[in-house]
Amino acid sequence: MSGCPAVRVSIESTCEKQVQEVALDGTETYVPPLSMSQNLAKLAQRIDFSQGSDSEEEVIEGEPRDREWTKQEPEEEEGTVKFQPSLWPWDSVRNNLRSALTEMCVLHDVLSVVKEKKYMALDPVSQDLTASKTPQVFQLISKKKSLGTAAQLLLKGAEKLSKSVAENQENRRQRDFNSELLRLRSQWKLRKVGDKILGDLSYRSAGSLFPHHGTFEVLKNTDIDLDKNDLDGSISPDIGDLGTVALFRRPPKTKAGTQQWHVKLEAAQNVLLCKEIFAQLSREAVQIKSQIPHIVVKNQIISQPFPGLQLSISLCHSTGEKKNHRASPEKPKPDDHLYVLEHNLHQMMREFHKQQLSSVVMPHPASAPFGHKRMRLAGPMAYDKAEIFSLQQNEGLLEKIIKQAKHIFLRSRTARTIDSLASRIEDPQIQAHWSNINDVYESSVKVLITSQGYEQICKSIQLQLNIGVEQIRVVHRDGRVVTLSHQEQELQDFLLSQMSQHQVHAVQQLAKVMGWHVLSFSNHVGLGPVESIGNASAVTVASPNGEYAISVRNGPESGCKVLVQFPRSQTKELPKSDVIQDAKWSHLRGPSKEVHWSRMEGRNFVYKMELLMAALTPCP
Amino acid sequence: MEAPPVTVMPVTGGTINMMEYLLQGSVYDQALESLLHRLRGLCDNMEPETFTDHELVYLLKGQQGNPFILRARRSLSHPTSPWHLRYLGQPEVGDKSRHALVRNCVDVAASHSLPEFLNEMGFRMDHEFVANGHMFRKGAMKIVVSKLSRILVPGNTENTERLSLSYLVELNVLAPAGQDNMSDDMRSFAEQLKPLVHLEKIDPSKQRH
Repeated sequence: MSGCPAVRVSIESTCEKQVQEVALDGTETYVPPLSMSQNLAKLAQRIDFSQGSDSEEEVIEGEPRDREWTKQEPEEEEGTVKFQPSLWPWDSVRNNLRSALTEMCVLHDVLSVVKEKKYMALDPVSQDLTASKTPQVFQLISKKKSLGTAAQLLLKGAEKLSKSVAENQENRRQRDFNSELLRLRSQWKLRKVGDKILGDLSYRSAGSLFPHHGTFEVLKNTDIDLDKNDLDGSISPDIGDLGTVALFRRPPKTKAGTQQWHVKLEAAQNVLLCKEIFAQLSREAVQIKSQIPHIVVKNQIISQPFPGLQLSISLCHSTGEKKNHRASPEKPKPDDHLYVLEHNLHQMMREFHKQQLSSVVMPHPASAPFGHKRMRLAGPMAYDKAEIFSLQQNEGLLEKIIKQAKHIFLRSRTARTIDSLASRIEDPQIQAHWSNINDVYESSVKVLITSQGYEQICKSIQLQLNIGVEQIRVVHRDGRVVTLSHQEQELQDFLLSQMSQHQVHAVQQLAKVMGWHVLSFSNHVGLGPVESIGNASAVTVASPNGEYAISVRNGPESGCKVLVQFPRSQTKELPKSDVIQDAKWSHLRGPSKEVHWSRMEGRNFVYKMELLMAALTPCP
Repeated sequence: MEAPPVTVMPVTGGTINMMEYLLQGSVYDQALESLLHRLRGLCDNMEPETFTDHELVYLLKGQQGNPFILRARRSLSHPTSPWHLRYLGQPEVGDKSRHALVRNCVDVAASHSLPEFLNEMGFRMDHEFVANGHMFRKGAMKIVVSKLSRILVPGNTENTERLSLSYLVELNVLAPAGQDNMSDDMRSFAEQLKPLVHLEKIDPSKQRH
């Protein structure tokens, strides 16, 4: 009604849910309402499906019957719409068809909804157990027959499939062998002899003169047979432990891309090279005369490069292929390979091969025999024996490798000597700077002897050691050159004598810095006890005002001795004499007293000396 | 001073008793490239070597029927190399199964005064030619592919005329007398060159016409 203020009306639906329980604090628990499917199930239970209407069956049959229509008509008439019975005779037919259509549509809808299974599901309805019972034997036989036909079909299909797969594999295998053969041929020398495929893994085409032929045979169908075809035809795989190698089995151990045959062929080639090297070495060991003869025993060549040092070169042939070099003193250590020498041997052999192939050997004019170009001139130029000898290569593989071994040994021993001295003696310090660029026969190291904390002042001892094959040449900073032999003791004695000289040199340098005057200096004093290693050196320095003097004598064996000379005025036990009348003579220096150097404070000799000097220089 | 003793017995051993095993064949000019390619693959791995040589063949006509033949050869591409004097004996009539031609061969290196020396000794130059081509090597085997050219004006090696449209292929090995296993290696090598070139033993004595 207009004019009145609006009244708020709230509408609330009645509580649809039944209250199940009221708690003590007032909350109500409702009975949960039925869900859709539960509701439907409840309604569906009310429907009696067994009592199907007759009209449904007739609809399924599709043939309407007159007597049933009368039943239907009153049902339809009892429906909502009342209409007049039609005048034309086809009305009932039309009605029946229409109802049949309706029924069919409904059935179709129901089936389509059920098919989706989202909104409706079919549940089995309990049936009469009096359903038609066909005899079980008949069922069994029919089932067996149907299964049999199905199985037949499947078997036929499987057979066709397996045949095609086998054919495919055969083709692939054929192609695989050819592609593998192609890859093999790209890396190894192969040739076809008759119907066999032979390969050559020797170094002959690279310049080797080893008489071994090194052939292997390639077989089809997963095998590469690595044989040696000896002259007598026996298959003797003495190139290592090589049996048949399956071409297509790729074990996971090998690196990606490497075929197993590749690994085996490479191993066999390595074996061949090692055999050639060893044959050459043993041939030279027997032919070459040296001071200490080399002993060749079966697979080992033993020689003595230095007295007390034994070098053994052995050919070790196991499943792997190794060549050992053991430079051992009296007791041999089998794990002490010198891999560097082994590598050098291989390198020298390859150099020899390369020389064979160099164009220096090819004859010009073409009809002349092979031979070194310069040797061909020997006849026409009338060379004498000395010139021919100088042309020929007079150093064989064995000599070279022994020289290298000697150098390596000498170098390691020198390093060991220097290191042991450095760790044993703290004052003065010894430093070694090894040069990175070395030769197989020569290395060099620069040795500095310094005192800690005084490196800039006392750097007079710097030695350059050139380690050769048998000798060590030492070049001093002041230009002296000393040649030491391979004896370890010589180097050690030399370094010890240099260290003792360094101490005295350090005092001399320190004196200059501190302002003290050097009164005398000698590198090799002739007084005092005789040293067994080198010579003792001595220096005498006087304080700036001349009152005190320090004398130092240092020897490698006898150690250092420091004496301080005091002015006459400070000594107590001065003999009274009538000769000296004037008092000024008391300013001269008098007797000297020895310093207990070991009780002196300071971490090294030069530091102690500095403290002493500082103590003897009175403050102005 | 008396003269140094002269040995009456002929010198044996050393380089005197070397035998040359020879197989020869020829290829047309068009096939040269493929032959060189194949040889490069079969032979030792070296840079291919070419050569240009000038050969003079000297005869010494004695009272007997057969003249004594010496071949003097010098390199035109390496003029400082010494001359090479060669004597080739009669092919050995051993068993027919031997695959290569075997004959005695004496090789001597000589200085550059060789032609005058031979002239002084009484040899007369019979003919000369220029050979150029390629050289290969496999172990002890030497393979020479050469084109022979005729010298039009004696002594002038610039003016040459090719003798044929093909190249001569020779496979030879120098070995001391008595070693016969080289011929098998040569034959297997020759097998590998087929069908590019057929190397076979050609008896020079049967070539005379």
